[in-house]
Amino acid sequence: MTHSVAGAGMSRRTFICAAAASTTALPLPAGARAAAARQTAGSSPHGAGLRSVDLRINHQDYALSLDPRTTLLDAIRDHAGLTGTKKGCGHGQCGACTVHVDGQRILACMTFALMNHGREVTTIEGLSEPGGALHPMQQAFIDHDAFQCGYCTPGQIMSAVACVREGHAHSAAQIREYMSGNLCRCAAYPNIVAAVQQAAAPEA
Amino acid sequence: MNPATPAPRENQGAPLERVDARLKVTGEARYAADIAVANLAYGVLVTSTVARGAVSELSLEAARATPGVLDIVSYDDVRELRKPTFGMGSYTSLGPLHERRIFHDGQIMALVVAETYQAAEEAAASVTARYAQEPASAELDSPGTEELDAAGKVAMLKKDPASGDFEQAYQAAPVRIDAEYRTPTQTHNPIELFSTTAVWSDGQLTVYEPTQSVYGFRSEIAKQLNLDLAQVRVVSPYVGGSFGSKGPLTPRTAIVALAARRLGRPVRCVVSRAQGFTTQPYRAPTRHHIRLGATRDGTISAFSHEAWELTSRLDNYAVAGTKTTTRLYGYGAVASKVRIVRADRQTPAFMRSPPELPYVFPLETALDELAYALGMDPLDLRLKNDSQREPIEGKPFSSRHLKECYEEGAAAFRWRERNPRPASMREGDWLIGFGCATAVYPTNVAAAAARVRLAADGTVRVQSASHEIGTGIRTVAGQMAAERLGVPLAAVSVEMGDTNLPPAPTSGGSNSTASVCSAVLKACDQVRARLFQAASAAKSGPLAGRDVSRMTLRDGTVLAGDGASQPLQQVLGASGAGAIEEYAEFVPSGAPVDAMQKLYRGQTTMVRSEERPAVSFAFGAEFVEVRIHARTREIRVPRLLGAFAAGRIMNTRTARSQLMGGMIFGMSSALLESTELDPRSARIVNADLQDYLVPVNADTGTVEVIMLSETDTSVNPAGVKGLGELGDVGTNAALANAVFHATGKRLRNLPIRLEDLLGGDSAA
Ligand code: FES
Ligand code: FES
Repeated sequence: MTHSVAGAGMSRRTFICAAAASTTALPLPAGARAAAARQTAGSSPHGAGLRSVDLRINHQDYALSLDPRTTLLDAIRDHAGLTGTKKGCGHGQCGACTVHVDGQRILACMTFALMNHGREVTTIEGLSEPGGALHPMQQAFIDHDAFQCGYCTPGQIMSAVACVREGHAHSAAQIREYMSGNLCRCAAYPNIVAAVQQAAAPEA
Repeated sequence: MNPATPAPRENQGAPLERVDARLKVTGEARYAADIAVANLAYGVLVTSTVARGAVSELSLEAARATPGVLDIVSYDDVRELRKPTFGMGSYTSLGPLHERRIFHDGQIMALVVAETYQAAEEAAASVTARYAQEPASAELDSPGTEELDAAGKVAMLKKDPASGDFEQAYQAAPVRIDAEYRTPTQTHNPIELFSTTAVWSDGQLTVYEPTQSVYGFRSEIAKQLNLDLAQVRVVSPYVGGSFGSKGPLTPRTAIVALAARRLGRPVRCVVSRAQGFTTQPYRAPTRHHIRLGATRDGTISAFSHEAWELTSRLDNYAVAGTKTTTRLYGYGAVASKVRIVRADRQTPAFMRSPPELPYVFPLETALDELAYALGMDPLDLRLKNDSQREPIEGKPFSSRHLKECYEEGAAAFRWRERNPRPASMREGDWLIGFGCATAVYPTNVAAAAARVRLAADGTVRVQSASHEIGTGIRTVAGQMAAERLGVPLAAVSVEMGDTNLPPAPTSGGSNSTASVCSAVLKACDQVRARLFQAASAAKSGPLAGRDVSRMTLRDGTVLAGDGASQPLQQVLGASGAGAIEEYAEFVPSGAPVDAMQKLYRGQTTMVRSEERPAVSFAFGAEFVEVRIHARTREIRVPRLLGAFAAGRIMNTRTARSQLMGGMIFGMSSALLESTELDPRSARIVNADLQDYLVPVNADTGTVEVIMLSETDTSVNPAGVKGLGELGDVGTNAALANAVFHATGKRLRNLPIRLEDLLGGDSAA
């Protein structure tokens, strides 16, 4: 593997993330952030040049006023108030921020919010109705105790749903490979594999 | 069968689902940085780019001019803050911005606060510093460090354990091992980022921060900000992993609180992953010199363990695992010595199994070496030296089922099918190695308080300011109440992680289940006593006048000794009470009389294993299979197996998960994790999750956990030994031993990487 846009060497982990997610999101190079800052400075009450961004998250419209440098992750958490999606690094290295955009898993920290205008974003909160029946993957995570602290769990579940949908859940080995973009420091990995296998079973 | 829910053996609790499982799979569990706060400003830290020197100039003009910036807190702004003292409360004596001296890489120099996170980040990046830089000595072997004996200077070690005349016994031994071992710097890296959110209201401060000790944080924050305890509330409902990193307070918290007070607005600072490596503590690197002497039949006659641990220039910190290694087997003569090496680093602190993980590694590797020197099965060598008494003071173990762990584990692993000759097992291109080692962790227990309320509708509320860091403490505390009060777990709600609740100890040292469950048990028994009293004292009703001492509570029904019964709702209804609520304080035997008062002031006083009349430890036997590619030397770990005896298991599901996660943590510690410093600058070069390797799913093979039945009520009323830090001990040695078995190459420095296996051996 050669170099990513940001010039940083791509690790096996980011490679796996990218391969698994077929994502088009690119790392945000420091230069791009600064350039964005220069372009927009001085045009709003506190000068950060807010832009209105319409996001559609979990079938609901959000009209947000954002610093254009805001990542989709920060927009979801800090502005839409949906804190189920987690930040574990902000650099595409942990998978905690995994959401679906137009049905594909992506790392929400690796894409600007405004790049997702008009797309359908699904977060962990959108997988099932509050208080209602759980998504089979959520239930499988409970059945197999596929978490401990639970911090990586929303990202794991969003990845797992996509992993099955992509047709990458045919064997334990394949699941391990395609779930390797999501770190779990509590190391619930064997239980995560079992949960994905259970949820994938009817379609397998 | 679902492997996540092992069938309970005797003295083991049902594998009930976690009480917070639904919250965790739906994203509704709120971690500190998830808590919605109105009118929030965002803080970003500015940290030093040198490891030693003085800050001669910090240029903040560009930062101040950045649109959206509200305030910058730096040197000169913290006069109202008091410097911390080093200890359990604060991991360092380094003041938050009290001096312009730099003691370590990435030391906090300022906090930039802005309207948005993006503006704060931009402004922080624009700060430049000039330093009077000095060469830094940051590793155990760096010239310019300072070495001292640890005993008497560190909290964890009063005296180096010793027994008999080691030198004489060692010289007389016909078979001897003499070797050096090393373990690296490691960084906890919970997936949740460190954060502080400070909210002031009428002189009251609320801090939302992930912590293993809300009460500890409260008193330390109050001290540093010159506030009364009653003015500070710390809230940490769910914690996204911790592994020791969130035990003591770090300087950031007071700085953020100060910024929020100055600004008159709540401030949230989420620390970047890279800054988490330098503004939080870490596991210190260690070096060990082990000498073992034995007779030809494998009886160990002499054991010496000398160790060196790195600490900061400011604080004398050491974990001193010799307290465990010198008691692990029935050695003859024992000598030990721990030294600390003061270097230009931040102060280390606890990381999962702080003493045991780095100290058991050299011992359990040396035992493997001794077994090979003797031509003995390494498992048999351990059983040969198994003992029911520890050798330092000759105290008995409160219970010890190490032998049973080895026997059951070896059978399940098919250990005996191994060809003992190194480099003898192979499948295609893969060299196969088996290794084993002992897992051990002391049983700690501390004072804890809990409040339990049984309502007339049969619901139960348990309150105790412990911390759900992933251990399942909410679930097992709820399970304890459900069992004692005869209600289903679904009827129990558990509140934790808030200084408005009764205090619980720091969630460290694997003491929580033992301590908190003992307090919950006591409160439940008080509730039962009042309920039985009400049933008996009723003027009429099926239990009127019955003997309370023979009453029990089961499935929502109070039963008398003669079989008469009354639903508990009726008992409460007839008594006119809306609920029965009881507060209980559990103080373990051996704790100081003021342990509970100290706990209210944020100090956990742990009663440690070696302080008891019978020392108490949980034990386990771990087995590892490695496969090493004959040409590329890629190391894979297809199989981990551990058999553990840890007293009462409250819930086999959560216990298995902790032990399983622990073994993978141990594997990672042996094979992947190392915080690397550039020797020229003494700065960390892999401060992110791409280059600081932690295992991914594909690095993990099958992990089997066996939990032996063990009953030991002498340790605490709950009979719990604690197992959050048991599973990761010994895995490193079992793995290194397996690598030797696969290749014939003995590796004594962790982590083991494939480059360590390239060339120079005849195994392939
Ligand atoms: S927060 Fe996006 S990958 Fe870590
Ligand atoms: S459950 Fe804790 S990080 Fe995965």
